[in-house]
Amino acid sequence: MYLEINNLEISFATPKGKFVAVRNVDLQVKKGEIVSIIGHSGCGKSTIMNAVAGMLTPTKGTVTINGVPVKGPGPDRGIVFQNYSLLPWLTVYQNIFQAVDAAVKNKTREEKKEIVEKYIKMVNLSAHREKLPQQISGGMKQRVAIARAFAINPDMLLMDEPFGALDALTKGDMQLELLKLWNLDNRSKTIILVTHDIEEAIFLSDRIVVMTDGPAATIREIEELHLPRPRNKKAIISMPEYKLIRERLLSLLMDKVEVDEADFYKGVPVEA
Amino acid sequence: MNAQTNSAAIELTSSAALSDRISLKPLLNKLSGALQASAYTLGGFGILLVLWYLLSKLTAGALPGPVATLTVLWEMLKDPFYDYGPNDKGIALQLISSLGKVFIGFALGSVVAIPIGILMGANSFCNKLFYPIVQILKPVSPLAWFPIGLAVFQNAGTATIFIIFITSLWSTLINTAFGVGSIPKDHKNVAKAFGFSTWRYITKILIPYSLPHIITGLRLSISVAWLVIVAGEMLSGGLGIGFFVWDSWNALSLEKVIAAILIIGIVGLLLDRFFAVLEKKFTYAS
Repeated sequence: MYLEINNLEISFATPKGKFVAVRNVDLQVKKGEIVSIIGHSGCGKSTIMNAVAGMLTPTKGTVTINGVPVKGPGPDRGIVFQNYSLLPWLTVYQNIFQAVDAAVKNKTREEKKEIVEKYIKMVNLSAHREKLPQQISGGMKQRVAIARAFAINPDMLLMDEPFGALDALTKGDMQLELLKLWNLDNRSKTIILVTHDIEEAIFLSDRIVVMTDGPAATIREIEELHLPRPRNKKAIISMPEYKLIRERLLSLLMDKVEVDEADFYKGVPVEA
Repeated sequence: MNAQTNSAAIELTSSAALSDRISLKPLLNKLSGALQASAYTLGGFGILLVLWYLLSKLTAGALPGPVATLTVLWEMLKDPFYDYGPNDKGIALQLISSLGKVFIGFALGSVVAIPIGILMGANSFCNKLFYPIVQILKPVSPLAWFPIGLAVFQNAGTATIFIIFITSLWSTLINTAFGVGSIPKDHKNVAKAFGFSTWRYITKILIPYSLPHIITGLRLSISVAWLVIVAGEMLSGGLGIGFFVWDSWNALSLEKVIAAILIIGIVGLLLDRFFAVLEKKFTYAS
């Protein structure tokens, strides 16, 4: 198995005592698989991702990649941070170039420059390459962050709500773009994606990991998807499996929000 | 056909006029703002001049009035580069001497303070080690170091540079340490995630992020250095604006003393403005 998470627990020391973010997390991911982690805010989705990224050290349990325990971050894993995390004093081009220059070995400067150009073009930012992050929109910043993660050609992509800040149209384009990139690479890149968007999770994933609510969150259920690839948004929406999974995810995520239907109509004046 | 082109032309000119008006407005606003600000400045100086005049009348001329002082100032500025021997030189030569000492001392101080500040900000061990020393030495008047400078260098001019060096250390050091210590986790995570080398981290993250803080430190340091040079030169003698003030007092020319005060103030203001502009240039919105 490519990525193995065994009995993972991550807790933080706080002034009020120990805070357990996630516990008893077990997950195996094959090479080339796309796995989404979905759940309510504060359910430890990002915590699991940060443990895989090597940004957090497990309190208990292990995270291994190809059997080797994760000791820290590395260029084999490309991270798209939730808040873009671009360096504000570097241009769009330089933000990507510095990452490529640092992470990619055995390539000449010219080759690295070509890589950067290719990915800037891929996310449609050629016209903005010399701008500083403060001069471009949130969506563009996120595209820079995605280009930066792709450009270092990692084995695994870790994306923390990568399309969260994008408008619906751009979001759709970027999701397609992501699948296209993954396809072009013979579907060999493993992608782990944290999201709270059910449709996004279904459209992109092979499996969807549903978390329980935090604190001390754990995996509630793992949904397997068998939707054919390459996927087409319009086509899959009408497939019975899509509807089934969507219903299932909705009921898993919404079952806490049981509303007495009568509550909806309280205070509404009854028309004569 | 003709009418069509005509109306199109009219449309064009009217839209051009509109955009002209739009682009003029902020310029006008800026201009009126600048006028207002200078009106306040002039008003303030007007009040000062009146008070000064009244004070000099009240003291029956013991304090020279504005007219006498400005006349002397004009005399000083008319021939700033004269040189009649070691104790009688033009105001520009005095200023150049003082500025030279300030810049040498300030440059040496900055070269020492910035790396130590970076170390203190980046490493809590260094911070714990050096911070108490900084806290004890910072409040000491730099003039107290003058005898030590004299003893070590056996030369009043070098000793003056030495006290400017000491003066320039503290604010730069503290601000640099603060800037480096406050680098956001997000930026550090980028460095970690993409495997930045130490050199790349220093040049692409640490320095750009802390530069505005470092410049603030330099700005504070040069302000204090300019304060200290005047006092320092009163002690050291020789050449310089501080010595000039003391020498004018000995020659009982308060007009020259006040004229020198004006010049010192303006030079100090210019130094401060210079670093304020730098500060702004290197500040980035994230």
